[in-house]
Amino acid sequence: MNDMTPTREQRTAALEGMGCKRKRVEDVRFTQGKGNYVDDVKLPGMLHGDFVRSPHPHARVKSINSEEALKVPGVLAVITAETLKTVNLAWMPTLAGDVQMVLADGKVLFQNQEVAFVVATDRYAADDGVNKVVVEYEPLPPLVDPFKSMDPDAPVLREDLAGKTTGAHGPRKHHNHIFEWKVGDKELTDAAFSKAEVAIKEMISYHRTHPSPLETCQCVCSFDKVKGELTIWGTFQAPHVIRTVVSLIAKLPEQKIHVIAPDIGGGFGNKVGAYPGYICAAVASIVTGKPVKWVEDRIENLTATSFARDYHMTTEIAATRDGKVTGLRVHVLADHGAFDACADPSKWPAGFFNIVTGSYDFPTAHLAVDGVYTNKAPGGVAYRCSFRVTEAAYCIERAMDIMAQKLNMDPAELRLKNFIKPEQFPYHSALGWEYDSGDYHTAMRKMMETTGYAALRKEQAEKREAFRRGETREIMGLGVSFFTEIVGAGPSKNCDILGIAMFDSCEIRMHPTGAGIARMGTKSQGQGHETTWAQIIATEIGIPADNIQVEEGNTDTAPYGLGTYGSRSTPVAGAAIAMAARKIKAKAQMIAAYKLEVHEDDLEWDIDGFRVKGLPERTMSMKDICWAAYNSVPPGMEPGLEAVSYYDPPNMTYPFGAYLCVMDIDVDTGVYKVRRFYALDDCGTRINPMIIEGQVHGGLTEAFAIAMGQEIRYDDDGNVVTGSFMDFFMPTAVETPHWETDFTVTPSPHHPIGAKGVGESPNVGGVPAFSNAVNDAFSFLGATHIQMPHDYWRNWKAAKDLGAVA
Amino acid sequence: MQMNDSQSIPASREQVWAALNDPDVLMQCIPGCQSLEVTGPNEMTATVVFRVGPVKATFGGKVVLSDLDPPNSYRISGEGSGGVAGFAKGGAMVRLEPQGAVVTLLHYDVDAQIGGKLAQLGARLINSTARKLAGEFFASFAEIVGGTSSAAKSSI
Repeated sequence: MNDMTPTREQRTAALEGMGCKRKRVEDVRFTQGKGNYVDDVKLPGMLHGDFVRSPHPHARVKSINSEEALKVPGVLAVITAETLKTVNLAWMPTLAGDVQMVLADGKVLFQNQEVAFVVATDRYAADDGVNKVVVEYEPLPPLVDPFKSMDPDAPVLREDLAGKTTGAHGPRKHHNHIFEWKVGDKELTDAAFSKAEVAIKEMISYHRTHPSPLETCQCVCSFDKVKGELTIWGTFQAPHVIRTVVSLIAKLPEQKIHVIAPDIGGGFGNKVGAYPGYICAAVASIVTGKPVKWVEDRIENLTATSFARDYHMTTEIAATRDGKVTGLRVHVLADHGAFDACADPSKWPAGFFNIVTGSYDFPTAHLAVDGVYTNKAPGGVAYRCSFRVTEAAYCIERAMDIMAQKLNMDPAELRLKNFIKPEQFPYHSALGWEYDSGDYHTAMRKMMETTGYAALRKEQAEKREAFRRGETREIMGLGVSFFTEIVGAGPSKNCDILGIAMFDSCEIRMHPTGAGIARMGTKSQGQGHETTWAQIIATEIGIPADNIQVEEGNTDTAPYGLGTYGSRSTPVAGAAIAMAARKIKAKAQMIAAYKLEVHEDDLEWDIDGFRVKGLPERTMSMKDICWAAYNSVPPGMEPGLEAVSYYDPPNMTYPFGAYLCVMDIDVDTGVYKVRRFYALDDCGTRINPMIIEGQVHGGLTEAFAIAMGQEIRYDDDGNVVTGSFMDFFMPTAVETPHWETDFTVTPSPHHPIGAKGVGESPNVGGVPAFSNAVNDAFSFLGATHIQMPHDYWRNWKAAKDLGAVA
Repeated sequence: MQMNDSQSIPASREQVWAALNDPDVLMQCIPGCQSLEVTGPNEMTATVVFRVGPVKATFGGKVVLSDLDPPNSYRISGEGSGGVAGFAKGGAMVRLEPQGAVVTLLHYDVDAQIGGKLAQLGARLINSTARKLAGEFFASFAEIVGGTSSAAKSSI
């Protein structure tokens, strides 16, 4: 071996495979302004559409007059529900089994609902046209408070559902009721409560908020009348699902629909669903024969396309006096707005909310969820979380703190006492899940040791004494959160979207020179798939990640996949990549054996190629095998080196983590300071630690936003009063605290590379950590539960209500 | 949105009452009023340019006087639409209290609702805007009715 021969370490490093902090390859174009987003798509003769929207939350539409609008120079068409009825598209199906108006059909049901679509030669003309459309409304009483939605005299919102006593998820109890979903053993749970030594009950609200990606929802639709083909460029988290939905509702053959999701500027769940803008742009293109672009503005995005949360969770825990939990009972009132447009797997009307038993060994639990209609925008998407998992985590993590307070126990100690033990995995939860793996005690103790938890508690006790003595006006809170997520939807046995099983896919094609392309059913919106997917392949088949191009988002070239949301990309598509790579490797081994003139079994894998067992100098690199695959394959073997895998996961994955937030609050102003935030995440095998850290930073920042102020708030008249970034809290570097990240590694036993997914964990675990910190700060003044979001005003109000401020 | 206050006006109750029923006076005093036409007994149509925060719009609508109790009180109410900017409706109970021969105390109790973009973008500005508009109205009104000077038309 001469000096030029690379060492094994150098060969491994050259691959930049799993575990490498590889720099994001997509950032080369993003940081130079060379990304290609939907709004960058400019086609010859392209028209622009803009919506007339309802100022009323609930009103009858008596007339729509487009006469003046059509006189505006540049305005070519005004599309209304009447136009859409001619092509049977005035209503569209939702992912949750409901139907939704594309354009107001007789009534409007939420403020800013789409009423008419003005098509013009440029965006300015379209906007001028919108101003000239005259709509006559007859206002109806708005229903804003979900707790009043099922009152006997509540206004009827959905007249189209008159007489329908059964919805997509079973019986409806009231004209504004959507579904009831029940899980768990009620009798056993009620019995646990009747025997309980200690019990708590609290209505914990997770307010309505919005994913608010910086790039709003948008599309360009181009219909080719000659070929009868429709091409749609759009901000789609799930391009293939969009293609199938368009095919089903527009009755176009699926091969004649081309869906392309170019670069996406953030999705966070907002870009999963199908919106009226897409349908209207497509119809407008069919009507005019020209490409039509639709781009939402900020207000439209915040007020009309898919909100998140709005869960009101009445939560009870039963426990023994020494702090062992014995039962959990939760009732959720879910405000879905005017249409049930939740983006959940079809059979799960409340997503995976039944993960609400969290990280704890509850012997029994019962959950009931009632979904209701109100005069608010539709949605209910998973904003940086798996389906309704952040709601569940917030619910149980707040409730555990409330129980700890009642028992006069430290919240960390209560959690340690009730954690599922490492030897209990795979663990069957009382509400029906099988947790794959976990080591909660280790993670929790590492968090407590690293942060100096005991010393912080001591400091808090001293500060409280000082506060009581009047020496300080600052109070200190410690927010403990220990979450278990459920991600990677999902196994075909229980997960589908409109009947399509929630598998995902990867196709790898190796080129003769030892490079290759991987095409995916997923779609990155900033997650860095082009970087991490290549790293999995690099480790699996020994080709440097730099030599692997990753392509996503074009339904003509990508294998069918269900897209990117709910932290499913790594658990599902990541597995498909490994499986496809292993098929490549198996064929490569046969080629190598043939070339090295040995039996396949005499070969062993060594970093970037095969070597003959016992003869380490007889090797064939993967690069050379790629070449051989195109000129000298074994007799009878097809040339080429490519593989495709469709991966149907056997189970979900269950990432977890231990977070701590240390917060100081000035009671006289309500101003808080996040002194310290520590986040320990266990996402199983770590593919790219730098990307994980970036994901955790982003997720924590969104958690911080939600817990501390971000809200879609309606006034009593049904007006959205937080419809712009003036009022909707969007933290910048100025407000965002410093994040400390840490990890443990408990691989998933059923995933090919042991990875679990991480993009959303920090949002799921972060929100309760912040809220628990605020509640913990106020607890010694007598607070049991203060509702989110905890902005300065609400903190001051809490202090005032507790008598701490005159 | 609710608001109540009172304003002292240097004129007799009868003078104030007459002015309150005079469309020309109302037109001069309503901030941003472009036109005010009598359409029937105690009914008028008005065009008003209204601005809250970043939203400015021309509102067309009708104004109705009701519960008339001359020269003590009436209710003035109206509703109008500003197209994409939204809508506004509301009213004020106005009550006159003599404070001697040439001074009248005018009490007003306003209840108004706004909707659409005005409410979305202007929600936190609406109270201060309403107070400012009411202030402008009564400053003009006092000037005209008190006869101290000819009121300058309010500019927006």
